[in-house]
Amino acid sequence: MTAIFPAQPALPTAASRARSVLRGVGRFFRRAPFSAFWGCIAAAIVIMAVAAPVIAPYEPLKSDFRSMQKPPDEKHWFGTDQIGRDTLSRVIYGSRASLTVAFGAVLFGTTVGALWGLACGYFGGRFDMISQRLIEFLQSFPDLILAMAIAMALGGGLGTVIVAIAITRIPFGGRVIRSVVLSLKEIQYVEAARGLGASHKRLMFRHILPQCVAPYLILATTHLGVAIVIEASLGFLGVGIPPPSPTWGNMLSDALNAGLVPPWWLVLFPGVAITITVLAFNLLGDGIRDVLDPRLRGSV
Amino acid sequence: MYSYIARRLAFGALTVIGVSIMVFVVMRILPGDPLVAIFGPEGFTKLSDKERAGYMAALGLSDPLWVQYLAWVKDILRGDFGHSFFRSESVADMILRRGPLTAEIALISVVLSWLVGIPVALVSALRPNTITDSLVRFVSILFLAVPGFWVGMLIVLALLFWFGYRAPMAGVSLFADPLANLQLVIGPAIVLGLGQAAYIARMGRSSLLEVIREDYVRTARAKGLNSRLVIAMHALPNALLPVITLSGVLLGLVLAGSIPVERAFGTPGLGFAMFTAVSERDVFVMQNLVFLYAVVFVLLNIVVDVTIALLDPRIRYR
Repeated sequence: MTAIFPAQPALPTAASRARSVLRGVGRFFRRAPFSAFWGCIAAAIVIMAVAAPVIAPYEPLKSDFRSMQKPPDEKHWFGTDQIGRDTLSRVIYGSRASLTVAFGAVLFGTTVGALWGLACGYFGGRFDMISQRLIEFLQSFPDLILAMAIAMALGGGLGTVIVAIAITRIPFGGRVIRSVVLSLKEIQYVEAARGLGASHKRLMFRHILPQCVAPYLILATTHLGVAIVIEASLGFLGVGIPPPSPTWGNMLSDALNAGLVPPWWLVLFPGVAITITVLAFNLLGDGIRDVLDPRLRGSV
Repeated sequence: MYSYIARRLAFGALTVIGVSIMVFVVMRILPGDPLVAIFGPEGFTKLSDKERAGYMAALGLSDPLWVQYLAWVKDILRGDFGHSFFRSESVADMILRRGPLTAEIALISVVLSWLVGIPVALVSALRPNTITDSLVRFVSILFLAVPGFWVGMLIVLALLFWFGYRAPMAGVSLFADPLANLQLVIGPAIVLGLGQAAYIARMGRSSLLEVIREDYVRTARAKGLNSRLVIAMHALPNALLPVITLSGVLLGLVLAGSIPVERAFGTPGLGFAMFTAVSERDVFVMQNLVFLYAVVFVLLNIVVDVTIALLDPRIRYR
């Protein structure tokens, strides 16, 4: 936590900032080694997504008509699909879609929700009342169903999937940040700043917003996993990023369309990829929550 | 109490109206053109302007939006959920035929999640920070991460591979042929039930740990009550209250989750109908089904709130 009254507000230089980040990471490893381990796996998955063209042994979209629907062997470690595309390469490229959507949707949705919650908590009154009703309407839909409806209405594509999932994330950001702001508003240092005649803008963004960073981070990381599962489900239901783009959901959907008996390797590997990715982000989120907010340790 | 229920219902009605407007906005006003959705981008460009206008008028899409909205609401109030573009069966008939199957899946999965989740939570909370506890916690975190529809696909594959067994594809009612019906619903119910059990075990564990530390539990122990009785009669009932609330929220998860899971199993329920509607871009069916699911979700939440108010004397019915 930042000190509330720094005696001499030393301006952070780039070097000191880097050092404090490193110290934070070191502390994270000591306090939550298990989560830190899974955080490394999450980092590895991100690197895999960025470096997909280097790592993937084949082109994800190129068909090899000499080896169609082949079980795993030494040439194709994860086998090939009905039209001879390499499953391993497609799983590797699939991480790109999955992570782009997850990060995009959570960043967009949680941020919009958080700013909305900040405004609701700060201003209160009629604006807050109407906002709470709107958020309630949004929460009356199960996430996946709302995302399906929006994705279908907007038509498939990377952008629309991000927007569809982001909208389902807004209520969470709104609710959590609003309650944080409501309790912060009455704290003495905020009152003192108000007494000194600080403007609304200054109070909201200088005094209240920085205290919302920890809950925001916790919220964002825990929702990454949810976003990945929704993205995969949308792909599986045919309203995600349209084929032939290699996404994990699309691959599972293709496997089901492959015939009455889907080949096991087409089912197994994309699902394992989803599970490991979601697990890694969830456990990383748990660790971040434990370190940033010890009061919540062990709760759901 | 009655005034509490009445107030809750009034708020529910307001929410349903808001939800109906939201569904309408999403399905009709968002930039996607319904004709593009129906004919596909290629089919749409092949239509002449006159054909487009004709189709729009026939579908009632050239009226002002508020007229369209009121017409839709009036249809729903009359119990007319419209027709699919692609099938002769009316949506209302489809809901009546397929709905019970999905409802069965949801009910069985909730029962299953309690049967599995609560004992696991008990084991975990009574011996915190032991190997069993850590194992239970890891397994439940794992279950939160595994997508249900993928587990469903694996189960279908495994049954086919080792036993050559495949669940029947045709819908059968519980009363006509209980055994065939059970074969249809048991797979999705197990997958969805275990997914919820993980949440319930986590929530149950932390809520039990909290309750066990309370004074009245210590008093019960101090007066020499058998420790099993303390847990069963004093701690558990209070610890279950947040679990009941969670269970209501999870039902929404089941309703949504049953869509991909029913597709994975090929179960002919309402979730599968939703999948069909979405893959055929059947806007009107989708609009009505999304609305139906949201209304069911709102009603379930009211039922849960009222149940909690009945069970928990600390909540004042104001």
